Amino acid sequence: MKKPSTRPTPQGPPRWAARLLRWLTPAGLLEELQGDLQEQFSRRLEQVGPSRARWWYGREALKVIRPYYLRRRAAELAQLLIDRFRKRPDHYHSFLKPETHSSPVISLPMLRNHLKMAFRTLSRNKLYTALNMAGLAFGITCFLLVGLYLFDELTFDQQHGNAGRIYRVIQHKNQKGEVSTLAGGSYKLAAEAGKILTEVENTTRLSRPGRANLINPENPVNFQETITNADENFLQIFDFPLLLGDRKTALAEPNSIVINEELAMRLFGHTQVLGKTLEFSHLDAPLKVTGVLKNHPRNSSFNFNSLVSEATFRSSEFFRQTMAGDWSSTNFSVYVLLKPNTSAEAVSTKLTKLTLANFKPEVGTSLSFSLQALKDIHLYSEGITDGARNSNVEAMAQGSPFYIRIFWFIALFVLCIAGINYMNLSTARASNRLKEIGIRKSVGAERSALIYQFLVEALLITGLSAVLALVLVNVLLPFLNQLVDKQLSLGLGTDYRIWLMTLAATLLMGLLSGSYPALLLSGFRPVLLLKGMKINSQGSLSLRKALVVFQFTISTVLIIGTIVLFRQVQFMKTAHLGFNKNLLVVIDVNTGAARDHFETIKTSMTQIPSVKQVSVSSRVPGEWKTIRRVKINPQGKADDPQVAYLIGADKDFLNTFEVKLLQGRNFVNPADSTAVLLNETAARLLNITEPSDQPVEIPAMARGSEFEPVLIDNSPFKARVIGIVKDFHFQSLHDKIEPLVVAYHQNPIHGIDYYTARIDATGIPETLEKLKAVMMKADPDEPFEYHFLDQQLARFYVEDARRQTLLIWVALATIFIACLGLFGLATFSAEQRIKEIGVRKVLGASVADLATLLSMDFLKLVLIANGIAFPIAWWGTGQWLQGYAYHIDLEWWMFAGASLLAVGIALLTVSYQSIKAALANPVKSLRSE
Amino acid sequence: MSRTYLGEFEELVLLAVALLEQQPTGAYGVSIADELKQRTGRTTSVTGVHVVLYRLEEKGLVCSELGGATLARGGRRKRLFSLTAAGQQVLQEMRQLRLAFWESLPTLFFS
Repeated sequence: MKKPSTRPTPQGPPRWAARLLRWLTPAGLLEELQGDLQEQFSRRLEQVGPSRARWWYGREALKVIRPYYLRRRAAELAQLLIDRFRKRPDHYHSFLKPETHSSPVISLPMLRNHLKMAFRTLSRNKLYTALNMAGLAFGITCFLLVGLYLFDELTFDQQHGNAGRIYRVIQHKNQKGEVSTLAGGSYKLAAEAGKILTEVENTTRLSRPGRANLINPENPVNFQETITNADENFLQIFDFPLLLGDRKTALAEPNSIVINEELAMRLFGHTQVLGKTLEFSHLDAPLKVTGVLKNHPRNSSFNFNSLVSEATFRSSEFFRQTMAGDWSSTNFSVYVLLKPNTSAEAVSTKLTKLTLANFKPEVGTSLSFSLQALKDIHLYSEGITDGARNSNVEAMAQGSPFYIRIFWFIALFVLCIAGINYMNLSTARASNRLKEIGIRKSVGAERSALIYQFLVEALLITGLSAVLALVLVNVLLPFLNQLVDKQLSLGLGTDYRIWLMTLAATLLMGLLSGSYPALLLSGFRPVLLLKGMKINSQGSLSLRKALVVFQFTISTVLIIGTIVLFRQVQFMKTAHLGFNKNLLVVIDVNTGAARDHFETIKTSMTQIPSVKQVSVSSRVPGEWKTIRRVKINPQGKADDPQVAYLIGADKDFLNTFEVKLLQGRNFVNPADSTAVLLNETAARLLNITEPSDQPVEIPAMARGSEFEPVLIDNSPFKARVIGIVKDFHFQSLHDKIEPLVVAYHQNPIHGIDYYTARIDATGIPETLEKLKAVMMKADPDEPFEYHFLDQQLARFYVEDARRQTLLIWVALATIFIACLGLFGLATFSAEQRIKEIGVRKVLGASVADLATLLSMDFLKLVLIANGIAFPIAWWGTGQWLQGYAYHIDLEWWMFAGASLLAVGIALLTVSYQSIKAALANPVKSLRSE
Repeated sequence: MSRTYLGEFEELVLLAVALLEQQPTGAYGVSIADELKQRTGRTTSVTGVHVVLYRLEEKGLVCSELGGATLARGGRRKRLFSLTAAGQQVLQEMRQLRLAFWESLPTLFFS
């Protein structure tokens, strides 16, 4: 390849090398070295040419990295720092200043000595070093894992350049006491706000009207994609990176579509697809690909894989009639980009005024708007309904503030306790080092030097632990990722802020945990130390005991919590739901053809030998899509309607799902199209005990949160009650069974959406193939989408199972830390009482007696901890179970089991030290007095 | 009597200082490195020479002053070294020591 000839040839020495020299050479020596190298360089330039000369210069510069220069440079910088700190005038630096005079605190030989001492101490007490490092590494590991998780959660949607100025419009509506909070706005609101309000720089509309087939005509595969419509401003407000295409014009033209890499790969097999066409099942004209988007990063709330230009629909009759002049609907997600330094509240008020000026809501309905910051969408959208999505489109994935709180708690708790444990262990074994300190002091060590020594030791061990933690984090990350469903990683590519955080946490932890022993131990008088003083530490002993009680309290609470949650999840997984959830295949009905010929399809399905029953219905139990709600009242009592859920179903529904009919009769034939079945709850609500064709009226229904009339002429749908079915859990066990109306499948409220087939347990794959064949025969355009109902139902409890796993890990972590603390305390106490044990042994105490004596002390602490933990756990888990409409009862054995476990673990921990102390030869402990 | 210990390279540098301080170039990093390269055939790095010079100065064998900025050096001064009395004495002692050794070697050694 030809090199561009216009590139200037740099004549000077390489810049990096010059910089390296400036950084690393001591100030007094810099000039002459630079001069010498420059002189050599200019000579070589003539002799061997620029590139060789530059190469030589770099080689020379690299040789500055040698201890002689580095040491002096470090001392010089440290001195500079100290001088600045002490606000002393910068006194003269002699050319060759003896380095020992540089500073009493930070001097290199002293530092070297401290490091050497630290290494010796650490390697002499291998057990303590291992314990300390285990504790600290564990603490840092937890902290890092949590840090990664939190970082990911808190940086959601921050990748857009304007992220700080983008807001989502939220509508608050109070309709005669019915409060709704919707993320959405009308067409006009978005259109006019950008023009009229000066604070608004730009606005964009997004809508998710449903799912449709997107087909590459060269390679047609039927697959339902979730469709997102966006107007031309969308890609200008948000910086979703475009691989191909122009973000200014990509969404401007009608019949344009922007797809992401993943969809491009799926449809075309490559991403160079600009200008290709796609067939769209709801439009006659094909769509032209005008851009290819990069796949979304994991921390993006948006998950669309295609954007169809809004302009495509603007010309349609339906759009012009219902949307274009509309101020009242919430059919669009409206995002506004505010000008810098504008208050969102002020704009909210103006938006409300603007809407009310153009649209008068009914009497008794109040309406207002607010703006939600983009960064809050992920974590703080609880209770906000997405107004701009069809009921068959999955909601935006939400973050859980619950996890954020739990994780914060764990991070801080674990880090604190790990630090305190270190402090504990090092003061506990300080008696071993009192002589060392005494000698150091009597030969002239200043207190500051001793403090410095202990801090260096603490920093060294935290540093080593941090390295260990980095390894551990990488081992554990895959498990965490599985647990929280993320793709976190820690490596060279990780954001620098995470590394800074790690460094800061390590330093802070080292300094804080080192400071207590450093300050305590360096303060004693040397004479006392050398005379063999024992630390009189009543105070610190009770502090330690309190700490152990605290740790075990938390551990016990968590163990109880884990047991309770485990039982609850088991309960939910195995509870009888009022219908038989096993071996039910649910098949989606997506196209009109499949809907119209459903009788034929159903008959063909029934003819498959391994299919026992087939039913069609609008929704199935365990549904993630919204189940429509209706207002229902006995005829003539229109002023007091009740709210119930409604499922449209055929006469085979009850048989297929094995729902029990308590009274009355099932649907028989199309003559029953105005007949309804009620569940027990609904029957109670309507005061119906005996179904006898009671007339009821259904005046209104709701697809999402808003009710609208069922029939166009505003008259109610008149129905009659023919039967009552036993209550069954058509929603998750988190919620109480709601009133339910089962209407005939030909009803004005909700048409059919699913086939449900009960199949044989054997030969399931073959059965599925046959079912698929039936569907394909009826409509070749229909993709075969199916799921097993029991698997779908299990998804309700994924979150609970996840929390359970999380809790188990947290419980293990706290127990581990508590054990470390206890072990430290046991060691300390065994050392303190070594003479006492010797005397007892000489007087005839047996090993068992002594071990029991020593262990009992700690057992007491654990029992106290249990005593505190029980009421807390009882109250806490009780509160928590209230959140489940159907839950287990707390039982005594859960508490007893947890207590037994805690005591057992504590005994195991303590017994090592107790037995060791009890076995020791008393001569050893008693001879030196 | 404790004698100042000198390594081989240090000794060569010290000798180079003694030689070059008499000449118009003066004894400084580049000139010493050049001299050594010419005489020993080894490539010597300027930084290495500098460090040795500083050590010799710490030991009191050479002393130095700044001066002689030229255009080729980008206007930077050089540190010019010269032998101290102690340095001269050390060189003398070295020479004596070596000569004494050579004299006691049998002539056979050379054949």
